[in-house]
Amino acid sequence: MFQRQTKITNTIAALALLAASHSHAGATLDHVQKSGVLRGVLLESYPPFSFLNSKNQLDGFDVDVAKAVAKKLGVKLKLDTPSWEVIAAGKWGARWDICICSMTPNKERAQVLDFPAFYYNSPAVLIANVADKKTSSIKSLEGKKIAVQQGSSYESYLQKKLTIEAPNAVQPAYPFNKVVIAPYDNEELAFQDLALGAGKRVDAVISNLVTANERISKTGKFRIVGSPLYQEPNWVAVDKGDAQWNARVKQVISELKKDGTLSAISKKWIGSDITN
Amino acid sequence: MKLENRFRLQVGLVMLCLLGGFVWFVQAFGLDYQFALSKLPLLAGLELSPEGFIQGIPLTLLLCLLSTVLAVAIGMLSALGRLSSNPLLYGLATFYNSFFKGTPLLVQILLIYLGLPQLGVVPTAIPSGVAALALCYGAYLSEVFRSAILSIHRGQWDAGKALGLRPHAIMRHIILPQAMKVAVPPTFSMFISMLKDSSLVSVMGLWELMFLAQSYGRSAYRYMEMLLTAAILYWLLSIVLELFQHRLEQKLSVSARR
Repeated sequence: MFQRQTKITNTIAALALLAASHSHAGATLDHVQKSGVLRGVLLESYPPFSFLNSKNQLDGFDVDVAKAVAKKLGVKLKLDTPSWEVIAAGKWGARWDICICSMTPNKERAQVLDFPAFYYNSPAVLIANVADKKTSSIKSLEGKKIAVQQGSSYESYLQKKLTIEAPNAVQPAYPFNKVVIAPYDNEELAFQDLALGAGKRVDAVISNLVTANERISKTGKFRIVGSPLYQEPNWVAVDKGDAQWNARVKQVISELKKDGTLSAISKKWIGSDITN
Repeated sequence: MKLENRFRLQVGLVMLCLLGGFVWFVQAFGLDYQFALSKLPLLAGLELSPEGFIQGIPLTLLLCLLSTVLAVAIGMLSALGRLSSNPLLYGLATFYNSFFKGTPLLVQILLIYLGLPQLGVVPTAIPSGVAALALCYGAYLSEVFRSAILSIHRGQWDAGKALGLRPHAIMRHIILPQAMKVAVPPTFSMFISMLKDSSLVSVMGLWELMFLAQSYGRSAYRYMEMLLTAAILYWLLSIVLELFQHRLEQKLSVSARR
């Protein structure tokens, strides 16, 4: 009996040690350098930032930035596409090294992920059905239903508790009283519902300017309402706890900014430079 | 014989009408079928993923095949455990059964995929998905097997004993062959259900059928087209399984008549 107990205690201690050992400082940097592979995560259906193109390849702004980072590091790039919840939950358990996946640092995310470098800005905007002439601002939607992706920063914004956790970030203002929040498991369904017409299932959707413009130009079913709601900085995210890796990522991104790579990628996909 | 032909004709007509209704419903959406058709080879897995791995239907089938084999083995062991008079085996099997039947499959997948790394073991997506599917469906199958075993009349046990057979020999040579026949239809229903539930593993970034359909749909703003295509493909796959089940049932009933 005693022996068994010590065995169990030993096992737990060993497991705890193992768990601790893979998150020591410099572990991610070591892994990237030794294996010669940068393992990135991003979304597979977020055009124009990252999507599956007609040749069955991941393509887009985020993908090109990830490729540029890997090239700068002198390693190969391997991309994985787990769901947003899995990425944003952090604790990657040494599975992935980096997330160049259009993430805005907020309070909750900053508790489980580190955000070493800013790489682009895309403001949050309100989107209405193209046939809806009445909606003129978020204030005019009092008591109406606004759809957002579940777990997104837009949801926190509508709950009036979004804190952007980045240096020099401009915190959003909330010029509306009471709206009904409709969280969607996926943004696609939110837009399908908005396409049915204002007031059918939802009255508006909040998303970001760049993806909204892409959708408007491809479908012609929506319009952007008024001026942007707030500025939304997007940062590179990494798993918590490797300061050396954070520093290296920060350095690489700033080099890419300096040599014009980032702005070239931005012009290629978005038509303007959103990386400042 | 004539009556049977008439019945078949009528059944065929009923099914054709229903299929027509479905086609009418779908064509009312005004979808871009050209786009769906152009993605069909990719969904069917005729191309490899950018990582050079199988994708689409082949990946779905691989996941299901591995999970099925494991689930049948786990289900059998668990059924025997639930029928056992040994408290350890009974307790293990009952707890396992209750947990994996009583919690959502998605949570089980994430417990394995996100939970194990916290203990220092980092499983990749395919083993995590197979483990979760096998454990979940093993629990359901265990109940199918258990009820099939219990459905065999007690007299069969008595007869076996009268012949001087040991309990495990009675189980293996008398009870299980008969129980198998009872278990076939519900077991295949489980397989069909698993075929569709395997789409849940896409949260780990596995490019199976449903993942690809959703990704192409969202990337090109052709969501309904791709969902519909995926639905038809799943349906076709399940029809193949049903045909297989039908043949197996016939085979078993022939052997029982002998």
